[in-house]
Amino acid sequence: MRKKILPYILLSPMLLIMIVLVFYPVTATFSYSLKKWKLTAPNDIHMVGLGNYADILKSDSFWYSFWNTLFLLIVVVLMTTVLGFLVSIFLNIDVKWSGSLMAAAMLPWALPPYVNGILWRFVFSSGYGFMNKVVIGLGFVDKPVEWLGGRWPLLFITALVVTWRSIPFTALVCLAGRQAIPAGLYEAARIDGGNKRTIFRRITLPLMLPFLAIGITSASVTAINVFDEIIALSGYSDLGKNLLVESYLTTFSFLDFGKGSAVTYLVMLFAGILGVFYLISLDREVEY
Amino acid sequence: MKAGKKIGYFMALTVFLILTLGPFLWTFVLSITPEYAMMDKTTRLLPEVITYDNYRELLTNGTQKGGILIAGIKNALKAVGVSLVFGIPIAMLSAYALSRMTFKGRRVIKNLLLITMVIPVMATIIPLFRLFVARQWLDDVFWLSMVYISSYLPMVTWLMSNYFASIPKELEEAARIDGCGWAASFLRIILPASYPIILSAALIMFLNTWSQFQIPLILASSLETKPVAIVVSEFMTKDSVQYGLTAAAGMIAVLPPAAAALVFRRFLVSGMMGGAVKG
Repeated sequence: MRKKILPYILLSPMLLIMIVLVFYPVTATFSYSLKKWKLTAPNDIHMVGLGNYADILKSDSFWYSFWNTLFLLIVVVLMTTVLGFLVSIFLNIDVKWSGSLMAAAMLPWALPPYVNGILWRFVFSSGYGFMNKVVIGLGFVDKPVEWLGGRWPLLFITALVVTWRSIPFTALVCLAGRQAIPAGLYEAARIDGGNKRTIFRRITLPLMLPFLAIGITSASVTAINVFDEIIALSGYSDLGKNLLVESYLTTFSFLDFGKGSAVTYLVMLFAGILGVFYLISLDREVEY
Repeated sequence: MKAGKKIGYFMALTVFLILTLGPFLWTFVLSITPEYAMMDKTTRLLPEVITYDNYRELLTNGTQKGGILIAGIKNALKAVGVSLVFGIPIAMLSAYALSRMTFKGRRVIKNLLLITMVIPVMATIIPLFRLFVARQWLDDVFWLSMVYISSYLPMVTWLMSNYFASIPKELEEAARIDGCGWAASFLRIILPASYPIILSAALIMFLNTWSQFQIPLILASSLETKPVAIVVSEFMTKDSVQYGLTAAAGMIAVLPPAAAALVFRRFLVSGMMGGAVKG
């Protein structure tokens, strides 16, 4: 008997924390999303069914944030995959200072994303910030550029900063994938007369695909959940907001708990679809 | 390496170092530039005069901004302490149960853990905010840290159970035959063999706690709870932004995690990998 309940006893502290601080709130958020609930009208809280969702899907503000989210997702995933792969090739080169390079490569991942955003904001600041000193010094322009002043440049720089943070993980996963390929396979291919390019295309790339998949899905989950960098680069303005910032502003600036919760649930739906891919890629085995 | 390859390598190295370390170097330059020289219309990258006043102001407890930043660092460290003291043992016990015992619901719990890894913070924060208001926890580092723990407990548990699964079962079976109960075999066999993963997990939890922004933005309302990233953000949004001071605060905020990541890089890498690749 003792043996039977032991695992549950060991798991109970974790389950308690997760139930109180994650599972209960997640379901509560859903029930909020079905209510009309504004803190400015505390006496008028009532069920509206899917009314909040319908309102949101009709609002321009939601779609503005949606396209921003999609832009960030696509650009971050593309850049992270390509650059992460390149960095993994670079880190795979055996030199005396490999260890230090590895440590430097991991830094952007290890630091507070908000502070990362601030560092890059200084690089792209208007007036005589670093980037403007460079482009003026090189004679490309003669007046400082407002890098963070327009919607798309701002979003692109946001994507850049998020990519900067997510490259280390992808590079590391790629590196692990590359090093897991048995050396014997390469030898066999060479004996069979394969040249460098065929070997890369027929052996390295296909065997690394499952690892790339982990990197890509992790980058997409990161990209959908960007928050800190956007606040660091554009403050709480509307210009660069994504769906999470939209949800934050709706809830805590406009004090509309119902609509804010509904926006969050739409983001979850979006992230959940990608999350499923993440779980599948974690569970995949590679045969060599 | 051949000459051509060597040149290619050093070009790649330069680009890599500029893109990785450049923002830190530039922020450091700003932090030692006097405020009056900040707006100079020049393309010179380095200031003519160097000042350490910003650091002096921030690290002196008497000044207004200094007091706030030091309080933020202390709050972040307190949260790190609470997260480690509670998070590591809780994760270890769960990971042990999940990797070594068979029981009903094991598969379900494992899957739930994985699913929670992709739930955004915003999906839980509104009810949590109400809970914190009702219980008056908004000034309490302990409960704030519990929310942090809940956000990475699944990942750390997953990491550890992957690791435990790689420790040969035979060791424990031998101990069982010698009459050890599960507690003794956990303490004598699993615990000593898993110090690398404990260090990795501790490092990742430290970095994550230090980085917190979104959760404390909503759940920390006072000087007694606001962590360092929130304090830096307030430097940025307060009426008159002092760039030099903010830059110096940013440098101070990245120093502890950067140092930890560099010193314990081996554990950082294995920790990052352990969660991703199935053990």
